[in-house]
Amino acid sequence: MATATSRWRALAALLRPDAGRWVGLGALIAVGSGLILTGPLIVRKIVDLATTGTTTSELARLAVLFLIVAIASQLINMAVAWMATVTAWHTTNEIRIRLAKHVLGLSHAFHRQHTPGELIQRVDGDVTSVSDFMGRVIPRAAGALFMVVGMIGVLIVVDWRLAVGATLYVGVAVGVVVRGRHRAVGESSDEMGSYARLYGGIEERLTAAEDLRSNGAGGHAMWRFVEDSADTMGSAVRREKAFLRMWWGVDGSVAAGSVVSLVVSAMLVSRGIITVGDAFLLFQYVLLLARPLEDMVDQLETVQKANGAMVRVIDLLAIEPDIRDDGATIPPSGPLSVEFSDVTYDYGDDQIVLQTINLNFAAGRSVGIVGRTGSGKTTLSRLVLRLIEATSGTLRLGGVPIDDIPFAELRRRVALIPQEVELLSGTVRDNVTLFDETPSDEAVETALRNAGLGALADGGIHRELGAGGAGLSAGEAQLLALARVWLRDPDIVVLDEATARIDPATEVLLEAAIARLTRGRTTLIIAHRLSTLRFVDEIVVLDHGRVIEHGDRANLADDIDSRFRHLLDLAHDEAPNEVPNEVAVP
Amino acid sequence: MSVWRLGWRVSQHEPRSFWSGYLLFVLFFTFPVLSGWLLGRGFTALSTGNNPQVYWIAGALVLCEVARMSTIHLGALMWTRAWVHMQSLLRANLLTAQVASGGPEAGQPVGSAGEAITHFRDDVEDVTMFIDGFVDISAGVVFTVLAGLVLGSVDSRAALVLLIPLIAVAMATRTLDSRIKRYRAADRIASEAVGGMLGDVMAAATTIKVNNAIDPTIAHMKKLVDARRHTAVRDRVLDESVWAFSQGAADVGLGLVLLTTASAMASGAFSVGELAIFTAYLGWLSFLPRMVGRMLARRKQVSVAFDRMRVLVADADVSNTVSSRDLPIGIRQTRTRPLPQRPERIPLDVLEVRGLSAKYSAGSGVHDISFRVRRGSFTVLTGPIGAGKSTLLRALLGLAQHASVTGDVAWNGQVLADRAAFLIPPNAAFLPQVPQLISDSVADNIALGIVDDEQLSLALELAAVRSDIDEMPDGVNTLIGPRGLRLSGGQRQRVATARALVHSPELVVLDDLSSALDIETELQLWSNLAAAGITVLAVSHRAIAFDRADQVLHLDAGRLA
Repeated sequence: MATATSRWRALAALLRPDAGRWVGLGALIAVGSGLILTGPLIVRKIVDLATTGTTTSELARLAVLFLIVAIASQLINMAVAWMATVTAWHTTNEIRIRLAKHVLGLSHAFHRQHTPGELIQRVDGDVTSVSDFMGRVIPRAAGALFMVVGMIGVLIVVDWRLAVGATLYVGVAVGVVVRGRHRAVGESSDEMGSYARLYGGIEERLTAAEDLRSNGAGGHAMWRFVEDSADTMGSAVRREKAFLRMWWGVDGSVAAGSVVSLVVSAMLVSRGIITVGDAFLLFQYVLLLARPLEDMVDQLETVQKANGAMVRVIDLLAIEPDIRDDGATIPPSGPLSVEFSDVTYDYGDDQIVLQTINLNFAAGRSVGIVGRTGSGKTTLSRLVLRLIEATSGTLRLGGVPIDDIPFAELRRRVALIPQEVELLSGTVRDNVTLFDETPSDEAVETALRNAGLGALADGGIHRELGAGGAGLSAGEAQLLALARVWLRDPDIVVLDEATARIDPATEVLLEAAIARLTRGRTTLIIAHRLSTLRFVDEIVVLDHGRVIEHGDRANLADDIDSRFRHLLDLAHDEAPNEVPNEVAVP
Repeated sequence: MSVWRLGWRVSQHEPRSFWSGYLLFVLFFTFPVLSGWLLGRGFTALSTGNNPQVYWIAGALVLCEVARMSTIHLGALMWTRAWVHMQSLLRANLLTAQVASGGPEAGQPVGSAGEAITHFRDDVEDVTMFIDGFVDISAGVVFTVLAGLVLGSVDSRAALVLLIPLIAVAMATRTLDSRIKRYRAADRIASEAVGGMLGDVMAAATTIKVNNAIDPTIAHMKKLVDARRHTAVRDRVLDESVWAFSQGAADVGLGLVLLTTASAMASGAFSVGELAIFTAYLGWLSFLPRMVGRMLARRKQVSVAFDRMRVLVADADVSNTVSSRDLPIGIRQTRTRPLPQRPERIPLDVLEVRGLSAKYSAGSGVHDISFRVRRGSFTVLTGPIGAGKSTLLRALLGLAQHASVTGDVAWNGQVLADRAAFLIPPNAAFLPQVPQLISDSVADNIALGIVDDEQLSLALELAAVRSDIDEMPDGVNTLIGPRGLRLSGGQRQRVATARALVHSPELVVLDDLSSALDIETELQLWSNLAAAGITVLAVSHRAIAFDRADQVLHLDAGRLA
């Protein structure tokens, strides 16, 4: 976590690119505040002239001047609002992009701990709080500050006692808000929290609605809803109370200000120290001050939210990726060998996931990895992609230790086809290229055809795929993942349960595509279904993080005592060298 | 039902908090009339040098302000309660319709929860804002009438001139408010595009990374955030200008008053005190026209909101969104956990599906399906992807809501009229292909209500998830995180299986389990179910299931082979 000073420095660094815009905005705000103060000065003149006697035309001339000032000041207000918002969004969009890039570069472990929903909130939601703060609160606060300073300046000229009084008055009102803010903001974030729980609960229940309906659990779901709603009631009332306390302070000081200014003016006017016009000026200024003071209470939540958001943004940027990209060795071209020497992996506690793994797969071989859930298969595949790093031992690709290979090179050479294929809402093309604009449409179509998705290519690759991949079955999604890899032409391919969600008919399709893809590449295939492993060269059996069996597939399948043969028999998914009977099912 | 009637029904859900909040708020708005008038008198006294009178008036002002603030204190607290009561009623009606298992309250299920949540949040907000607007208008009318009387008696010509900026405010607010709504909708769409893309990308972070696609992804995102910048700026600037406009109207109004009274002032007929009254009232006067303009815009929004919410409730009948119900959420109200309402258990002899068809508008579906399931038997349903296996199970259970379903299902020979209401535990239980869990404990997710420990541990045993749960730090009380994401995919599936088994249903219907289970676990599960003598209808592709099955149903292109 960053310290307070380094946080401010980081904030300044984020604002610096747009410094020129911010300075221009400040100047415009100062002019606007000057105009606001000018109006009451004109009225003072009118009142003074009216009490001492003057002509109608003189007063009318001043009234027109007042109108012009009032309109001009509103125009400047609008210009400030526009310029501030544009600048704020300009600056914060830069921050969004930086954050997104930073977060994508963080490790697998980070992404496991944070849900996509949370990351949307931190990359976009938090930054939007900051841009609302910059676009709305900062200009208003600056305007109020200029106004108060200008006002006190004017009052010093009229009478120093009034200036002192006004300063005290502003001080007291601001003090009330500043003192009450922690409590009020605390209550208000409690309230936001209770609403987040309410909506989160509703969303979850809607997602699970079919499960709830089919289990007759409507009453249970409603009971939770009533509890959550009662929480929102309690927290809403507490928040209202805390804010009312501040209202008493702010509205009370505005009221007190007008009463005191009336009494003080009466005393000073009767002694001839100030004119009736001066008294009226004071009265108008007190009314003017009420606006920013009330605003301050209104914007309190925005400020606090933005403050919290800013801290989170800077803290997020301060998280270093725990796998560093500082290698510089390029492995030889062509298929790569994969070699594990004494590789152990654990989560930093005693829970060992992989224990002293020693395996050597020659370049171009295909290897099936089997074992029960939790035996360490997926961890093994993540190591090969360097999504995680071994706790001890060395993993070499093509003879080069994996941490000596630059990321860009590693990502180009090693590809993964995962169990859960994530589809993006976007076009078919976007889903294959992952927004890369370099590959030609023809290349994308070829990749789709090679992956057995000719129908998708025929339908036009610029069609939208629909959010969450609606419109593709689980099997088709797997094939699409294959197309992604096809397009990249890697040297090592890792398939992690790529056939798990597929029916036997689709599996035949997928197997053919996999066979095409893996030709001439080193391939690691993790599978529940042993039928997927019919054509691999070697088999590794893992159990509780250890290799308990490794050898040529044919030998193991023939060996009555082997663990692999036992699994084959158990599934009687297939007999050696026969077509699995599953596939015979229509 | 008109939006006025609907709004009235909502407001009368908790009439006590509604009316006390309403009356106090209206009363609050009468005080500025008094204090403005007192200030005017004060300035008259000040300009004539009558200081003792100034002090008396100052005293009266203090009393008036204290009374005003006490009123708003009570009123705001009452109104906050009324507000939450009204919103909760609407949400409760929507949610009940979505989670009811059949029966008169059940509505059509929504497609995506993420989208539906906007009904619970934004549409509900629109309705309460509409009702809130009434309170504002009532208060504004009271203030404007009283202030108009005072100003009219001071200088009727100047008072009439003020109508010009006030009418302008009402008209501008109305136009700008509907435009704001449009701009906001555009901004929301652009924001959703950014959020949606970010969500996709973050969910697929590993995929993006291993496919070396970070740079192109960021470039694509840059386009989306730039597009959103335009909509965001437009939205916020317009919002700001509505605020600025009404502030400006007060200043322009003062300018017009000064202009019309110039001659009266020059002759001394219009005093400083009278100018002070005008000045004091002006800030408040733009309130009513602003609210009237806003309400004109909101009326449209609220009918749209009701129209959107209607889709969620029974028969899409809008009056069901405002049905009254007992909702004890008040601070001093006591709540008792309701006992689960379940249908009476009718022991299964035979389940018959007769000519069941379910057609989706897209053309897919199942056609003319008939089969029987006998007590204690194991029926396997198989077939390629897209053959309609899940559709068939849903149609059978009365869950295929958006399809047109024909044909019958009979339980021991008796045709079921409301399948969704009858085919729930203890009669039948269903496990979807991708079961959804909620962020509660393991035990709560399985029980979804109240069950005893014995039932729970039996269900864990049957679903072969016992050892997993025992390894967790808090056992069955372990919290499983949002949507159960702290469990592995296989564990989620098996916890959901335990959920289906916990009430010892007569019939259990399992959509494809094998995707998340390895062979050994699946084998164990089938053995457990067989040993417990439970009647099973299950989708599976595995030979180990076919071997154990009493009958295997092959479904292809929506028909039984």
